[in-house]
Amino acid sequence: MSAQDQISTTPAIAIEHLTKRFDGNTAVDDVSIRVPPGAFLVLVGPSGCGKSTLLRMLAGLEPPTEGQISFGGKIVSGGASGVQTTAAARDAGLVFQSYALWPHKTVEGNIDWPLKVAGWSKQKREERINEVLKFLDIEALRNRYPAEISGGQQQRVAIARTIGPRPGILLLDEPLSNLDAKLRVDMRSELMRIHRGTKATSVYVTHDQVEAMTMATHVAVLRDGRVEQFGPPDELLLKPQTTFVATFLGTPAGNLVPVTGNGEDFVFNCVNLAPTAIAPDLDTAQLLYRAQDITVGRRDGRPTVKATYAESAPIAGQSMVTCLIGDLRVTAIVDGFFRAEPGAEIDLCFLRDPDAVFDADGRRVTE
Amino acid sequence: MKHSMTGTLLSAMLMATAPAMAQDLDTMTAEELYEVAKTEGSVTAFSLSSRIARIETAFEAQYPGIDLIGLDINSTKQIARLEAEQRADIYAVDVLYLSEAPVVLRDLLPEGMVTKYVPPRIADQVPAELQADLLTHRLSTRALMYNEAAYPDGTPVANLWQLTTDDWRGKVLMEDPSQRGEALDLLTEIALRSDEMAAAYEAQFGMPITVDDDLDGAGEQFIRDLFDNDLVMVGSSSTLRAAVGDINATDPSVGWTTYSAARNNEKEGWALQISNDTVPSAGILFPAVLTIAKNAPNPAAARLLIDFMMGDDTPTGGPGFEPFYVQGDYAARRTIEDHPDAVPLEDLNLWTMDPAATGAARARVLDLILVLQ
Amino acid sequence: MTGLIRQRDLIARLLQSRNVVPLIMVCITAILVIVPLLRIVQISLTPDGLAAWTDVTNSRLSTNLLWKPITNTMILGACVATGCLLLGGFLAWLVVLTDVPFRRFLGILSTLPFMIPSFAAALAWGTLFRNDRLGGQPGYFAANGISIPDWLAWGLLPTLVVLVAHYYSLAYTMIAAALSSLSADLVESAEMAGAKKSRILFGIILPVVTPALVAGGMLTFAGAVSNFAAPALLGAPVRMQTLSTRIYGMVQTGNIERGYVLALILILAAAALLFFSDRLVSGRKAFTTVTGKGARTKRFALGIWRWPLFFAAVALGMMTTVIPVLVLFASSMAEQSGGLFSNWTLHFWIGPAGTDLAQGQAGIFRDPILLGSILTTIRLGLTVAATTMLVGLVIAHTIVRYKGTFLGNTLSQLAFLPLFIPSIAMAAAYIAMYGTSMGPIPALYGTFTLLVLAATANLMPYAVQSGRAVLSQISSDIEESARMTGAGPIRRMTEIVLPLAVRGILAGGILVFIKIVRDLSLVVLLFSSTTPVLSMMAFNYAGLGFMQFANAITLVILVICLIASALVYLLQNKIQGWKSA
Repeated sequence: MSAQDQISTTPAIAIEHLTKRFDGNTAVDDVSIRVPPGAFLVLVGPSGCGKSTLLRMLAGLEPPTEGQISFGGKIVSGGASGVQTTAAARDAGLVFQSYALWPHKTVEGNIDWPLKVAGWSKQKREERINEVLKFLDIEALRNRYPAEISGGQQQRVAIARTIGPRPGILLLDEPLSNLDAKLRVDMRSELMRIHRGTKATSVYVTHDQVEAMTMATHVAVLRDGRVEQFGPPDELLLKPQTTFVATFLGTPAGNLVPVTGNGEDFVFNCVNLAPTAIAPDLDTAQLLYRAQDITVGRRDGRPTVKATYAESAPIAGQSMVTCLIGDLRVTAIVDGFFRAEPGAEIDLCFLRDPDAVFDADGRRVTE
Repeated sequence: MKHSMTGTLLSAMLMATAPAMAQDLDTMTAEELYEVAKTEGSVTAFSLSSRIARIETAFEAQYPGIDLIGLDINSTKQIARLEAEQRADIYAVDVLYLSEAPVVLRDLLPEGMVTKYVPPRIADQVPAELQADLLTHRLSTRALMYNEAAYPDGTPVANLWQLTTDDWRGKVLMEDPSQRGEALDLLTEIALRSDEMAAAYEAQFGMPITVDDDLDGAGEQFIRDLFDNDLVMVGSSSTLRAAVGDINATDPSVGWTTYSAARNNEKEGWALQISNDTVPSAGILFPAVLTIAKNAPNPAAARLLIDFMMGDDTPTGGPGFEPFYVQGDYAARRTIEDHPDAVPLEDLNLWTMDPAATGAARARVLDLILVLQ
Repeated sequence: MTGLIRQRDLIARLLQSRNVVPLIMVCITAILVIVPLLRIVQISLTPDGLAAWTDVTNSRLSTNLLWKPITNTMILGACVATGCLLLGGFLAWLVVLTDVPFRRFLGILSTLPFMIPSFAAALAWGTLFRNDRLGGQPGYFAANGISIPDWLAWGLLPTLVVLVAHYYSLAYTMIAAALSSLSADLVESAEMAGAKKSRILFGIILPVVTPALVAGGMLTFAGAVSNFAAPALLGAPVRMQTLSTRIYGMVQTGNIERGYVLALILILAAAALLFFSDRLVSGRKAFTTVTGKGARTKRFALGIWRWPLFFAAVALGMMTTVIPVLVLFASSMAEQSGGLFSNWTLHFWIGPAGTDLAQGQAGIFRDPILLGSILTTIRLGLTVAATTMLVGLVIAHTIVRYKGTFLGNTLSQLAFLPLFIPSIAMAAAYIAMYGTSMGPIPALYGTFTLLVLAATANLMPYAVQSGRAVLSQISSDIEESARMTGAGPIRRMTEIVLPLAVRGILAGGILVFIKIVRDLSLVVLLFSSTTPVLSMMAFNYAGLGFMQFANAITLVILVICLIASALVYLLQNKIQGWKSA
């Protein structure tokens, strides 16, 4: 079932043909995405791909140039009427990348103030503050100032502050990018727990594809302001529609090998890799090989290419071996612990047929 | 700028009757004025001298029921303020007591922004030229002063032209004439008296003067020569007085300042004396005038105040004039005697400034000075 | 039909749009600032005015009337600004970022010179360095056999020194406020990179506090350029003129048009400089130091330089503070205005009336008006400080948030302009424009309100610039996260922005207080009351030749400023407890 099929109920967030231009520079280009309530949407892409701008438009901090945004069926931005609901009225909360804690208020004060502004009664506020502090396990920090707590703690406070008013939509701007690796891993599960606990629809911006793969129910890969592909993470991983998605997602990322058609076969460095029958219309193509489909050493009956050893990373009893063929980086998986001299010549063997074929423009060729 | 309907009507009525009323007020005696002034209740005066505070006490003692509000503002600022206020249709001041007569005559009087009032009581006691355009209250001075302790035998400057010689290079002080109106007036007067300056030149150097082509008369030539002879300009008049008059000085300079500075000699340890014998003149006498502002809100009280300030019939002028009865200032009203410590007015070797002529010539002299600096 | 809908849409858009706030601020600033400006321009375009333009720019008078003075003015302005930034910056760095001993004391010492009227410093210089060009009493050095050349006793150099000694505390205040909001991260990251202390200073800290440097530089430049007392006192004997003395002179001798023309030229020159310096501070993100991640102040360890630098700072403070005050004090006690250190008497302070001394004038504390004047002065100071802080904060906030846009830039230029409008022009224009009633607004002539308006306009640049320097260091995230909560702009301003910027705002506020309490030119034209402010009293006494009384009152003004500053200092330290160290 594709992501689009799931939208039989009103989507929690519907982005339609959204475009944002700054002074001639198009930051977001005709983006359309819909997610159901309770989804965890991850916007992932390299720096400058427009994900933060998209997030800010969802938050209401920037008005779109074209297109519209609806929350729960109600238009909040754009559309024919030119509506721009203020950020405050959107029932959305934003966790800033820099946390943006108010330095002159205590942790409790930081959480309390938005509730005060929203007009909650004193009793309700106190209850909620206690609730939220407990939920994020920061009760001990209640009376501290932001300057006195660690980065990870600040982040929890930032989240606590945002979920305090129980927003229907939770927006997170690269929340883990300032944390150390271990903390990042811990916080991933924390964030999932929080997401489930708040029952909000979350939109999460990151440049780290691991986060996308582990946390998301829906992933949108963005490049240069455009959506390269949108769908559940598995779909993007197993059936990438563009070379960009193919080489962006996955640990390790997929290998793209450029080949030229030579009558019967597609050839790379004078080695026949695959028959041209898999993509009869193409003269040149790019073949996708997963790391698990390539190994080190010769195998009978399978094409082998000479490569130069670059590095090897241990992973769960196996090794990810990265080699260079000219300028092309290729990663293979090998059982056990593998080491070689950097620059040594190695044989790489392609064990199976390519997982996908892409044309010269990077689009997938469907069979 | 809207006024209310009633306000407009009232002021229209007032303005219509004002000339007639003013006419009556001009001829009233002090007692009659007092009766009318009591209904007005107060009078506001700008004064160039802070001695207005003492006038205030005396006036309110003599005329109870009238509150004198005296504001101490220097002449230039008075003129600026009055112009600004009247341009905005604000008439809040009654009496102006200021010097800078040339500017008043040139800018304020022709526009009718100030008017002349001469109390009938003393009209014949003030020389005609001192009440021609505006009523002069007193004459102040800008005179060449020297150090009596250093020069016990009298002034070292017998002739003004000596100040342009090497002996006096860098030893002549003056307030900056491009900053102070009185100093400018002094130089303007010198420029106007070109015949006398030419005669004095001949007396000093034994030959007729040759005036530079771009200058207009011996007076202007003197100014140029004086500046070329390193005339030292001083920022504040108190510095000048101290510099010239210090009783312990061995080789003091001479300089132009107000003669009345000499009254502080003992207290300050000075030895200032007026260089009265200098040919052709030691400096100038200039008027401080009393005028009434246009549309004064308290016309009767204003006139009463002026009458009061002109003094009573005693030789020292009584409480109305007393604060100004100092050595070095001269009452315009000749029944008030000159201070015994000062050189009497008749013997004073100072040119009396003609405000109208000075007003016309000032600009030219200022330009000359600016170039010479 | 669609046209109507469009219009309604447009208006709704406009009102809703983010341009409302800057538009309002521009209007307010226009009323406060542009009106006097237009007045001066209007006057300069009358026939007399046009003649004045020719006289000033293109006649035989021009050299002495314009070109020499403007050269002097610009040199003075540039050198004073540089000197002040160096001195003020050095002291700010010393007090805020290092572990020099007795930091508080040094901090206080460094803010004092600004409270002392510049003529006091000029007087002090004269007392020490005066040579015998004037005849009369020579200065201390000359009297003791050290010959002082003319260029040291008078003219550009002493004026420069005196003005730097006066204005450096202005730069100090601004830079110290900016440095104290500097986060330790920036410094420590450089330390980690192995950079030496000097490298860190010049490579990291300096660039980050550039807004404060630029603000301080521009304000000291403006102050130096419009200062009248110092060049008048020290320049006259060697015929050095600056634009300020020329403007004053032209007005004093009844050549108002020439005065206004010179003022306009001064404004134009200064505006050009402002434009270029504004460019320097473009790109707000580069200077964000107060982020949501909390901030600590980190102090450099000075090592063996601790005490030498301490003493250097103290010496500096002594020379620029203690000596002028001593001279002031001595001259208020001296029987004779010539001999400063002999024959002291308390007469001018508390002596009775009717004695031989000072022609029977009583000491100032016996003057019944004095108490009323002190109260009026303080009332004026507090009111103007409050209004300028308010207006300044909102304008500064608008400028920073709308940086780079047309409205933001316009506002920036406008807010700074008043510094270059001579107070006398400002006052005259204010009477003309606002002295009478306009519609529902009653006539303000002669009222406290009018004076407060004019003073707010005149002194607003101080509040705006110090507000700007601090605000540009607050990350926009902090405000945006407040925006997300639904708080309205006023609430955001008072509960989020103000507490974070308060130190800089207070710094601006105390400056304004000091300036208005000392001011003369505005007051004398706009305020008519039987209880004059203290500056008027001093001026009156000086005009009478009673220098001792005048100086005594000047000292009273100084004490008031000191107390106010002390209060503000304590306040500042109390309210930023959320920062550790």
